[in-house]
Amino acid sequence: MRVLGLRKAPSRRKGVIPGFGLCMGVTLSMLSLVVLIPLASVFLILKDFSLHEFWNVISDRQTVATYRVSLGCAFTAAAVNVLFGVLLAWVLTRYKFPGKRILDGLIELPFALPTAVAGIALTTLYSNKGWVGSLFERMGVKISYTTVGITIAMIFIGIPFVVRSIQPVLEKLDAQYEEAAAILGASRARTFFKVILPEILPAALTGFGLAFARSIGEYGSVVFIAGNIPYRTQITPLIIMNKLEQFNYPAATSIALVMIVFSFIVLFGIHVLSARVNKIAGGGAGG
Amino acid sequence: MYVELKDIDKRFGSFQASDGVSFGVAKGKLIGLLGPSGSGKTTILRMIAGLEAPDAGDILIGGKRVNDISAAKRGVGFVFQSYALFRYMSVFDNIAFGLTVQKKERAYIKERVDELIRLTGLSGLEARRPHQLSGGQRQRVAFARALAPNPHLLLLDEPFAAIDAKVRKELRSWLRETIGKVGITSIFVTHDQDEAVEVADEIIITNKGRVEQIGTPTDIYKNPATPFAAEFIGESLIIADYGRLHGFEKLPGFGSAVLRPEFVRVVKPEQEPYPHASQRGTVAEVLFRGNSLELSIDVSGIRLIAYHSLDGDVFQPGDAVSVLIHRLFLLGAREVKKTENASLQNNTAFFI
Amino acid sequence: MKGKITRWVLVGLGVLFIALMLLLPLAAVLVYALRQGWATFLSAVTDTYAIKALQLTLLAAGITLAINTVFGLFAAWAITKFRFRGKQALTTLIDIPFSISPIVAGLVFIVVFGRIGWAYPLLEAWNIKIVFAVPGIVLATIFVTFPFVSRELIPLMQASGSDEETAAALMGARGLRIFRRVTLPHIKWGLLYGVILCTARALGEFGAVSVVSGHLRGKTNTLPLHVEILYSEFRLTAAFSVASVLVVIAVLILILRNIVEHKLKREERL
Repeated sequence: MRVLGLRKAPSRRKGVIPGFGLCMGVTLSMLSLVVLIPLASVFLILKDFSLHEFWNVISDRQTVATYRVSLGCAFTAAAVNVLFGVLLAWVLTRYKFPGKRILDGLIELPFALPTAVAGIALTTLYSNKGWVGSLFERMGVKISYTTVGITIAMIFIGIPFVVRSIQPVLEKLDAQYEEAAAILGASRARTFFKVILPEILPAALTGFGLAFARSIGEYGSVVFIAGNIPYRTQITPLIIMNKLEQFNYPAATSIALVMIVFSFIVLFGIHVLSARVNKIAGGGAGG
Repeated sequence: MYVELKDIDKRFGSFQASDGVSFGVAKGKLIGLLGPSGSGKTTILRMIAGLEAPDAGDILIGGKRVNDISAAKRGVGFVFQSYALFRYMSVFDNIAFGLTVQKKERAYIKERVDELIRLTGLSGLEARRPHQLSGGQRQRVAFARALAPNPHLLLLDEPFAAIDAKVRKELRSWLRETIGKVGITSIFVTHDQDEAVEVADEIIITNKGRVEQIGTPTDIYKNPATPFAAEFIGESLIIADYGRLHGFEKLPGFGSAVLRPEFVRVVKPEQEPYPHASQRGTVAEVLFRGNSLELSIDVSGIRLIAYHSLDGDVFQPGDAVSVLIHRLFLLGAREVKKTENASLQNNTAFFI
Repeated sequence: MKGKITRWVLVGLGVLFIALMLLLPLAAVLVYALRQGWATFLSAVTDTYAIKALQLTLLAAGITLAINTVFGLFAAWAITKFRFRGKQALTTLIDIPFSISPIVAGLVFIVVFGRIGWAYPLLEAWNIKIVFAVPGIVLATIFVTFPFVSRELIPLMQASGSDEETAAALMGARGLRIFRRVTLPHIKWGLLYGVILCTARALGEFGAVSVVSGHLRGKTNTLPLHVEILYSEFRLTAAFSVASVLVVIAVLILILRNIVEHKLKREERL
């Protein structure tokens, strides 16, 4: 009897819906096989690698230069994306105009288009013979194979993250806030900066973080336009790829580890930041 | 009249929100716009504020036509149903918002906001954010924010809807007192007749985009002008076959009647002082209502509701009783006829 | 008046940005693909290696889809219908592939199954090849798209709660019946939405696949990798021709996605 009683307690806690054991079993084993065990294996490779060697690889001058290129371009791209992301989300939620639905659907294009296709298309467009690149060439500005080109590719890949973060918040934002400000005599601009902008700030930050993290890791759409010039246009994923092609696995893994840690820090930072902003206003929208 | 609406029409697609709405509000009055949801009362309020534009008709504030004046320039204060307090601003900044927009001097803003904080009893909460306030406190902030720029007209959209039932009663009298102190002409929207009756000087009853009746709460209660007003205000029992009630005759054109519990008096048969005007009934159900008893009584096949004092005679289901009905509101197509018990009038005349 | 001008300026800026950043590259692919006429285009697209690459891409995407859908359903059910400790941690772990660079995703499989990997001796003994072979490509694709389905389902199933499932269970329904009759109708559009996103990414994955593929033409080459090879051999027209096939697929997916999203939003409003 006692044994039965003991067994009952946890099942009551879980309720009467069946399948807990099966679901957890399938979920955990698949997760372990596909994600956790392979990821943990990264450390196995590094076990023969001394801390000193590890440090030398990740602080190598050429490697550090790739961090600078990746971070700098990704930051610029994410900033540009926040600017245009807010604008696009605003236009898509507040105005009616012909072709709006098509514009709305197109935002998602960078998710749907294979990155390699985007990569070669952007490179060709912005090269000195391309449609856009040739225009800039005349002004003496090179885009393909420079950091400008990398930034453009990162803007391409990051824009949906920002728009799709902000859009639902704007849609849900009660029109009463704007009406209240208007009745109190505030101009449209003042209403936007004082009332609406603080409301969408957490979403904009999240969008920035997602676009930033994606841009740092992005390979396909950036690799062609980057040109892989060491110290100048070599991005971090590319140097990992180079090390892999040289079968220098420990070095590639070391730099990969830096990337993994860094992307976790970015996502965690964004999480903390938006939680704090949310706390100031007291929970979700409308609360 | 300080605020006047003349023949206002407003449609949202196929929905007629306002259909020839006309009324006036005298300066300094506190008006309740009362109606069921979808009756167009909020639309009227929003058109007065300038948040919606009427399709036809004129809106006048202080004798001036304001149709083409923007909401910001009409000099109205508006308290939103969910308050729409700016979540990222403190209580102080919320109240000061309208004044900073007007670029008032800092010292003046401080003085004015402090005055309103004192008036609304929010002292000590100036630095809080809206989410750190209770529902009642939020309403007070919304109220203070609307009053800060010294509007001439205050509009409140369902001011008590977002508050717990318990606090609501308290806030009603507070709002009435405070508006009285400020002396501002005010219009509020509500679907709750108790709220309208308790708070408003005058009530405007709306239904299906039309104004049904305008008057003081007692006036509307005693003399409803339309069938809708008769049914909507007070507790109403609709009786189709009212000709079977003693002392009343079925009139052509009046298909049914409204009977209020307070029009019914119940006594033991042997104690009936007006036997000619009353009739026999049977108690079907007795419900305890806290301060009184609610009796359900069958009278010639009609079930009536009556209130009975707790100190009076004790009734059980099945008891025979004498029922006196002294008044009915007969409902026509658009008009209401107040009718007294005919036998009772004859009798009293006879005996006196 | 002022409001109107602001409005058109803002709409104009938005449209210009999308046209320049998103539409122009799309148009460029199609124009470059057809630059040398239909014949060249067709020969590039019907090239044996291109067909083989397309077959491999579809195969990898198909397996990925099946596995990730199964995982997504089980994971979403476990996370939303039961209470247990470590739920938040589990959700975070499932989302890991989102925050990892595709290159790193490919690298982890080299580290496990490659010549230096701990599993290599085992595979050698059984004569199985994973890295630089088809299984590696499939695995890498599964990894990068792993959370796509569960991520769409979890919020949806959380929002609908577990009352209906509990009621069905109390009436004696078994797991599969509860799922089919009670849960599935709630989540069908969300599931389809997740599947579409997963398909798009699986068809187009480049970085991770590029690391584990070894670029063996006709054997371990997917369509995006084929585009890269043609491009790096300076056969631009051929590269763009093959790319245009992917563009057409992407546009179709985009349209489908919008239809499903529309249905999903309408369902949520009900």
